[in-house]
Amino acid sequence: MMIMDGNGNGEGKVYVGNINVSARKARKLLMSDLKLGKLVDWGTAFSLWPIHLTTSCCGCEFAAAWSPRYDNEQHGALPWIGPRQTNLIIIEGTVTKKMACAVRIVWEQMPQPKFAIAMGACALDGGIFYNSYNIVRPWQIVPVDVYIPGCPPRPESVAKSIIMLQKKIREKQVASKFIEEGWRPDKEYVIPKEDLCSWWRG
Amino acid sequence: MSPEELVERIKSLLGEFVKDVKIWKNDYIEVEVDKENIEEVAKRMKEFGFDHVKDLTVVDYMKEGFFRIIYNLGSYDNFELSYYIVGIAYNIPRDKPVTKTLYYTYTSADFQEREAYEAFGIIFEGHPDLRPVLLSPPVAELKPLRKDFVVKEDPEIITKKK
Repeated sequence: MMIMDGNGNGEGKVYVGNINVSARKARKLLMSDLKLGKLVDWGTAFSLWPIHLTTSCCGCEFAAAWSPRYDNEQHGALPWIGPRQTNLIIIEGTVTKKMACAVRIVWEQMPQPKFAIAMGACALDGGIFYNSYNIVRPWQIVPVDVYIPGCPPRPESVAKSIIMLQKKIREKQVASKFIEEGWRPDKEYVIPKEDLCSWWRG
Repeated sequence: MSPEELVERIKSLLGEFVKDVKIWKNDYIEVEVDKENIEEVAKRMKEFGFDHVKDLTVVDYMKEGFFRIIYNLGSYDNFELSYYIVGIAYNIPRDKPVTKTLYYTYTSADFQEREAYEAFGIIFEGHPDLRPVLLSPPVAELKPLRKDFVVKEDPEIITKKK
């Protein structure tokens, strides 16, 4: 590649550009000029893959929501087994203190940008276990985007929550802003105040 | 076998160990014994035909100052005995909750004793693996099913951040 500057000094020489400047220019081109952020939001909204982490009895409704009758896969959501291939966590019902450790570990393993849905009355404020000594609220351990009320919620409301999350991602441009800024500006990151996993391995 | 006949046979089997016998609803018999004799009682009941522990119940009598431990015994092999459940009950002092394990007589008492340990803090001497089953150790230290454990009554209300 032959590049000459204005005075004709570069004749016969090869120049390699500054990689940081090129990356910045490319990001400006893609995100601002070509509006690729819309594509990222669209892609993220239709590939919300929830992790299979059944904390409690609402998991039955969660399973029914992906059965042929209610078919949530039409919204682009597919339950998956490995936390490193998923970007959505649906907390199904009560979270005991022992399970809260597992929820938090799974949440940390998931790649960004990631989302959380809390399902059922127990996940809102404790439900019938509101004064139990052995539960935590999901909003104390992960930042929750959408709450589903009900005991248990119907599979239709699970589908509705997926659609609400899709709307939120596309209207607030959550995924593309994450790429631009490196974190989610619309949601505070939650760090659990309680010590969850210290009893593990003594 | 009628319940009265079974009570007579248990009385002749256990002899002077029996302090009190009650019949509840024709199929549940509660036998009260002393804390010191519990291992011998369990051995005799196993030879008699009650081959497993269905359930272990602990009741906290806080004002009276004792725990009442009840082993509910059942039978799989003996058809006549399988209709009945026999509860072997004994009291231990509340300020020193230490008793002997029945693990070596009834293996099915293993997890039940561990649950009693985590919820009430009762120590079963001689149990090979006495650690919490369901609760995590920091929660088990609170001994949450004792009567003096204070349960929070008011629900938490989520308010929107401003």
